[in-house]
Amino acid sequence: MKYSPTEALARLIGRIARMGQKYGVEWWILVAGAVIILGVILMAVFAGAIAPYNPSDQNTGPQLAPPSADHLMGTDNLQRDVFSRIIFGARTILGVAILAAIISSITGITIGLISGYNGGAFDRLLSLIMDSVYSFPGLILAIAFAAMLEPGIISITFAVAVIYIPTYFRLVRGQTLTIKEELYVEAAKAIGAPGITILWKYIFPNVIATTAVVFTMNVGDAIMIEAALTYLGLGLPPSVIDWGMDLAMGKKFLPSGQWWLITFPGAMISLLAVGFTMLGEGLSEILNPRLLER
Amino acid sequence: MKNLLRYIIARTFLTIPMVFILLSIVFVVIRVMPGDPVSAMLGGHAPEKVIEQKKEELGLNKPLIVQYGSYLWQICRLDLGNSMIFKQRVIDTIGDKLPATIELTFFGMLITLLVGVPLGAYAADKRRSTQDYSIRLYGIVIYCIPVYWLGLMLQMIFGIWLDIFPIAGRTGARVFVAGFDKTGLYILDTILAGDFAALWDVLIHLVLPSVTLGLTLSGIFIRLTRANMLDVLKSDYILAAEARGIRHHRVVYKHAIMNAFVPILTMMGLQVALLMAGAVLTETTFSWPGMGRLLLERIYLRDYPTIQGVIVIFALIVAAVSLVVDIIYALVDPRVRY
Amino acid sequence: MKSFKLIFVCLLTLGIVFLASNSFARDTLVYGTTEKVTDMDPANAYDFHTWEIFYNIYRGLLGYPPGKTNLVPELAESYKVVDEGKGYVFKLKPGLKFSDGTSFDANAVKWSIDRVMRIKGDPSWLVTDFVERVEVLDKNQVKFVLKNPVAYFPALVATPPYYPVNPNVYPPDKIVQDPSALKGGKLVGLGPYRAAFFKRDQEVALELNPYYVGEKPKNDMVIIRYFADATTMRLALEKGELDFAFKSFNPSDISDLQKMSNIKTIKGQGPYIRYVCFQNNTEPFTNKIVRQGVAAAINRPDIIKKVFLGQNEPLYSMVPMGMWTHTDNFKEVFGDGNIEKSKELLAQAGFNETNKLKFDFWYTPSHYGDTEVDMAAVLKEQFEATGVMEVSVKSAEWATYKNNWKNQLMPVYLLGWYPDYIDPDNYTAAFAGTAGSRGNGIYFSDPTWDAMFVEEQKTPDESAREAIFKKIQQMWTDEVPTAPIFQGSLYLFAQKDIDGIMISPTLQFIYAPIEKMK
Repeated sequence: MKYSPTEALARLIGRIARMGQKYGVEWWILVAGAVIILGVILMAVFAGAIAPYNPSDQNTGPQLAPPSADHLMGTDNLQRDVFSRIIFGARTILGVAILAAIISSITGITIGLISGYNGGAFDRLLSLIMDSVYSFPGLILAIAFAAMLEPGIISITFAVAVIYIPTYFRLVRGQTLTIKEELYVEAAKAIGAPGITILWKYIFPNVIATTAVVFTMNVGDAIMIEAALTYLGLGLPPSVIDWGMDLAMGKKFLPSGQWWLITFPGAMISLLAVGFTMLGEGLSEILNPRLLER
Repeated sequence: MKNLLRYIIARTFLTIPMVFILLSIVFVVIRVMPGDPVSAMLGGHAPEKVIEQKKEELGLNKPLIVQYGSYLWQICRLDLGNSMIFKQRVIDTIGDKLPATIELTFFGMLITLLVGVPLGAYAADKRRSTQDYSIRLYGIVIYCIPVYWLGLMLQMIFGIWLDIFPIAGRTGARVFVAGFDKTGLYILDTILAGDFAALWDVLIHLVLPSVTLGLTLSGIFIRLTRANMLDVLKSDYILAAEARGIRHHRVVYKHAIMNAFVPILTMMGLQVALLMAGAVLTETTFSWPGMGRLLLERIYLRDYPTIQGVIVIFALIVAAVSLVVDIIYALVDPRVRY
Repeated sequence: MKSFKLIFVCLLTLGIVFLASNSFARDTLVYGTTEKVTDMDPANAYDFHTWEIFYNIYRGLLGYPPGKTNLVPELAESYKVVDEGKGYVFKLKPGLKFSDGTSFDANAVKWSIDRVMRIKGDPSWLVTDFVERVEVLDKNQVKFVLKNPVAYFPALVATPPYYPVNPNVYPPDKIVQDPSALKGGKLVGLGPYRAAFFKRDQEVALELNPYYVGEKPKNDMVIIRYFADATTMRLALEKGELDFAFKSFNPSDISDLQKMSNIKTIKGQGPYIRYVCFQNNTEPFTNKIVRQGVAAAINRPDIIKKVFLGQNEPLYSMVPMGMWTHTDNFKEVFGDGNIEKSKELLAQAGFNETNKLKFDFWYTPSHYGDTEVDMAAVLKEQFEATGVMEVSVKSAEWATYKNNWKNQLMPVYLLGWYPDYIDPDNYTAAFAGTAGSRGNGIYFSDPTWDAMFVEEQKTPDESAREAIFKKIQQMWTDEVPTAPIFQGSLYLFAQKDIDGIMISPTLQFIYAPIEKMK
């Protein structure tokens, strides 16, 4: 070990600060987003250790108790601890959103690369289909899918993943179309490099930067859509601990003054989405060469 | 002129395959997904004979291709079938609920523009200042706040604690809708009927839902306006205007905005999709009797024809709006041609 | 900018001025509910809210006085039983007219019943299972010929499928969804009200029926406003926008409203029960000891406290409290949350900590209100607290739920029951008689039980029927085809100045006596 853990941390912070000076505010936005996301991920991973109670335990304390030292976020009507449910709920929402984004990106990028590179009637047809889906309100399509399938992690991940595929497709296909006209690609073709090699070695690396930004935005959107679906009662069975579902269950207690049941799930959804959006914004500003002009 | 006409015609023709694709997707999602709609609906005690009869009635026994064909043909005639649950024509039900959604989305869009555009312009003007960053932060945060949560918060603050605005429905419980309901667009109806007490009631009920919907989308408009304004503010004629001594305030808020407006207009068209998605969630929160709530209620009841009909209408609206927006853009920007 | 401000101020003042004026000069009551209207046709509507509207627009041959559970003559002056219980002859009140002026007579009765039998709508079994045919004896006498003697036939006649409708207005073969489809555009019946305006999911307005010959209602109009959720309805009531509201409130709203000084609470014993069903023909629930073991673990007070904030009553028999012959058999035999007994019984069947009883436990998330989710979660905890059960909770929307029990996919599931007619038979034969049991997915069949049901259906001797029902309830704790959980209480909330509201277990909520005190 060259440096001790604290020293390593100090060097990391120093590095981050220097980059901040170089890139300005945008960098700090990115860092803020990353910190939020990291925080929630750690919370999800170490849920078992952090949560004071079992989230399904129906005997943790008084019914519908406001936040207190014992129950940082209060209890619900089944006497479960809200704070523990929030901590474990992070797993569900992060899991679904990230998984959906991964599926979405892999599918969209692959199809986009192939279609853009090969061109022809197939490409035009596919573009048309993707454009149509892209223009349609994503949430409504997700609702339709989630409603038709049996509630479960697979169904909701599928519903959330499908609607973002056109975004990746359009982005990647557009860039593929441009790049494939480049001289070095022609050269590669001339020496007989197979299509896949060209795609993988030349085109894909160029596409990655913008795709990364879209990926973070995708996860942010996926979080919102997952929460909206479960809020509407679609997609997941109630036995899974989820922020959107807790929000829906808690809202009927609002006029009785039990505000903590909806405030915390809502705040967490917003916070997590903000985190990913800030990461995406920061990333796009930095990777975008026009930044230097501003 | 001829070029423009050609563009319009070409673009209109392009809409048809887009609509066709969307309709096909809807068909696949609804019909081909797992679950037999008829026994799901009749279930329980229904003897086999009744189930078979119902299936015949709905044409579910014919091969998929035939069903697909008759589905498309029906839509051309604007016949969306009959609800499975209520024996009402789907098109009638939708006709009942669509005006409510139109009113909501119209006012929502209004709020979005009133909040998003000025803030975006201001942020562009004060580029890289604290105001700029705070406005952009607001934009991000307001977009990430779930619509329904914002709605609940507003309901709690303005509806319950402060008790200024009603929190649900289009009219108060004591307003007799039968007295003026004609088109379904209540603002129009109450004016036509001369019932100003009802007009006031309808307007008040529109406040919280449209503010909720409008604020959520304002974040996007802040960013778009700001980006467009930044480009416009760099251009020569702005420099010329400043050189001529026109007050900075007027330069930004009159000249620059007007020039940035066309792209904003086209963006409005693209945001219709987000508006509709937001409307679905807003309607559930505010018990608004529109298409979004209809969709969700019928999903719970497994009323497939109505679910299908609603999504088809959404698809048609999206296609129509995108067509109109493209045409307007072509009208205004001579560089755009097919 | 200046003109903007001027216009705004003008509108504001106009608004305030007009707000003072009221849209209604007459005595109109506004009634809020979260229920939905289905079809405005007695031949097909099978839900209590639409039936409630019918109770006020139509009349039956027999009926219940507001708030009471005894049958009294309505359209019929009297009836007599002939042919050893297989025939009922009703003598109709002369001179009655429908609300469009058509006279009411025996032909209208026959026409209506024939129509129900022809259309075969959802509730038609209430007629077709019992009635062979209807004969017109003369202008004011009509005879019902039954397939078999039925002791509770008068209770059946009081249900909406038996209500006479106007032959001139109702289509003989089609189901009417809303009044605008009818000739004249309005519903026509024999009750004190008629439908003036109908907009599904928004409002239904009932105005006075000018042809009604009975006592004039104490209000001029009742407007029913439909709410998408209970929270909104509760707030509307609190703010004074509604005069009264009924079905269904969230438990938290009920607690709050009860405490408010400006709101009147009217609480009634409901006829509505909730219970756990077993699929009696599926392993391991073919063994009654297993069923007993699971039933023993149910802790009713715990459920009522957690899910309903204490607002319902624990139920210890399938026959509800307040109904004739009810006895608390389950309490005597099992008690609540009897973990010891549950373990003991399940051990007899071979289940213990190492060999747990594993099953899927189903519920339906919206048909019975959204408390179902919580109820399933609490029951799961209760079952697993024994240490010998492992429960996996599943859900399906109502349509799929019904399908599931038909296809025997749900070994243990939650169900609820609102009575079709007021008689213990409706709470017992429907679940334990071979035909009824299969229809509800319970698949319990025992010839002794069936023989007892046939007996009580036939005999008009009250004490004989009572003995049978008491025995059945006791046998229920042995065989446990289903296990009762709780009985619902009815809560209606009204403004302090509203009087005359009476609710009863018959769920026949009559609007006529309600008035706003000055």
